[in-house]
Amino acid sequence: MSSTAPSSSVSASRVVLSVYMALFFAYLFLPLILMVAAGFNSYSPPSVTQWQGFSLRWFSELAEDQRILQGIVNSVVVATGVILLSLPLGLSGALLLSRLDARSGSLLYGVLVSPVLTPGIILGISTLIFWRQVDVGGGLGLTVMAQSTFIAAYCMLMFMARLQRQDTSLEEAALDLGATHMQVFRRITLPFLRPAMLSAAVIAFLQSIENYNTTVFSIGASHTLVTEIGSRMRFGLTPVVNIIGLLFVTVTVAVAVAYVLLRQRERARTPAG
Amino acid sequence: MNAVYRSYGPLLGTIILLGVAVWTLAMIVGPQLFMIEQSLWRMEQPDSAVTAGMRIEELNNALSLAQYDLGALEGTTDPDKMAEREKLARSVSAMEQELTTLQGQDTAPVKVYTISNYTEMSGYHAEIFVKTIGASLMVTLIAFAVCYPVAYAAAKLAKPERAALILLGLVIPYAINELLRVFAWLMILDYQGVANSVLLWFGLPEPVRFLDSGAGVFVAMVYAYVLFMVFPIYNTIETLDTNQIEAARDLGASTWKIHSRVVLPHAKPGIAVGSIMTFMLSAGSFSVPHIMTRGTAQPWFSQLIYSKFYDSFYWNQGAAYAFTLLLVCVAFIILMMKVFKVGIRDIAK
Repeated sequence: MSSTAPSSSVSASRVVLSVYMALFFAYLFLPLILMVAAGFNSYSPPSVTQWQGFSLRWFSELAEDQRILQGIVNSVVVATGVILLSLPLGLSGALLLSRLDARSGSLLYGVLVSPVLTPGIILGISTLIFWRQVDVGGGLGLTVMAQSTFIAAYCMLMFMARLQRQDTSLEEAALDLGATHMQVFRRITLPFLRPAMLSAAVIAFLQSIENYNTTVFSIGASHTLVTEIGSRMRFGLTPVVNIIGLLFVTVTVAVAVAYVLLRQRERARTPAG
Repeated sequence: MNAVYRSYGPLLGTIILLGVAVWTLAMIVGPQLFMIEQSLWRMEQPDSAVTAGMRIEELNNALSLAQYDLGALEGTTDPDKMAEREKLARSVSAMEQELTTLQGQDTAPVKVYTISNYTEMSGYHAEIFVKTIGASLMVTLIAFAVCYPVAYAAAKLAKPERAALILLGLVIPYAINELLRVFAWLMILDYQGVANSVLLWFGLPEPVRFLDSGAGVFVAMVYAYVLFMVFPIYNTIETLDTNQIEAARDLGASTWKIHSRVVLPHAKPGIAVGSIMTFMLSAGSFSVPHIMTRGTAQPWFSQLIYSKFYDSFYWNQGAAYAFTLLLVCVAFIILMMKVFKVGIRDIAK
């Protein structure tokens, strides 16, 4: 084999891979672009093939859509409840696991993360059945319980990742110097966990707002933004849904870009090593 | 346990233990157990209630007949008929007495423990169940084939700035609501959608009904869950020392050999996690079939479960179906852990 052959075959495969990546990203983004575009078409139901002229009317229809607006309020209420429930639960799970030996720790760990690997509809169904025993029916409160089942596990994993990097000698020193356990927790452990707490709250909020498969079983007669979108997929579909899609895309892109920029700035500030 | 109290003190230690106890018992184990319990019984008319009901009907008929006869004998003076009337009146009061005792009996349906909620899955439902599992396996396989090159390129081939851009491009669609992503495909595959417009423009005689065949569900499902395969594989490939790939290449390994002997073995935990997530999401997906079948294509198994709960209000069988689905997912997780030789700690990361 000559010495140039491998490099030319490598560059050829690079071209193939580049083309593949371009196709893959077209596959990811084209549908989203089409969806957003249909939001500006005055034709309803949403379409890009039957173009009836550029229009902003669906924005104003969205602003007047009481069910959607109520859905947004309900979604935020549920997400807030999920944060308030999942963060303490996830934190206690992480703190407990960090002190257990490998054997009993593994079993508990398996139980606590199992909801992440369970289909969402089953979490919704089992929560619905469980709370019916005490006559609690579907609604916003039940949705908080159902969603927290797996979102608390996400929070726990984030706390565990942070706790692994903790230097426990600091806590031990404080205890030796006469600090109470409460003082150690409030002055050392909690401040150390603050960044993880912030990102866990953000993740919990996003996961809760997004959730459909669990919520659809636990929401009862109430609705969130996403279950309202879900029921409109069958009845009364108008480009208002596309405008919501546009808003989702905009917020997501803004948050993602802001996150990347923030991390770059943080990296620039902290000296290497 | 002692270690917990030693590190956190009595108050905090108790709060932590209590929190974990509530989470495990009231949110994870308890609900699952109650779901299983619900799937193992049904309300049935007791046998005694069935026979009692038949007897009540019989008595009612006989009673109205006797009362009619009694009315006909009213005011008679014939001694024969008087005796007959006496006899009839006695039997009427006897029947009335029996009727009141029978009606007083509890005929309400009783809870009967049975496995028939599982065994009674009809042929049609069983067919949908098998199709759902088969389609979910296909989605998982396709997602792996599509994602592996992307994950490898992002982790090993791209320069750091470009890799960051690729990741951003992956995160954005991943973060957009699942329902909206699927809705985008509804607009493409609809009868009057984009795909049909393009096909007609290329000279196809008439539009294709993509949604009726269930192909729409499949296509949108691959799209919705493909990214759950990318990130786990990317994460594991990224930890592979690039020198190993270069060493293999210098030693004359072909691209195929490099991947089958160096990269793929290293990526095993990531492939296992990605497959588990993709399969679980597909098999349990409610959103994708809800949007893409539009009531015309065959339903997904999750839709059967939903209608057991909210259309026919037959929770017992709904719970049995749900538990069956859960068992399949658990079996798939165990299979993946065995095939890829990974532990539970590697999975949930």
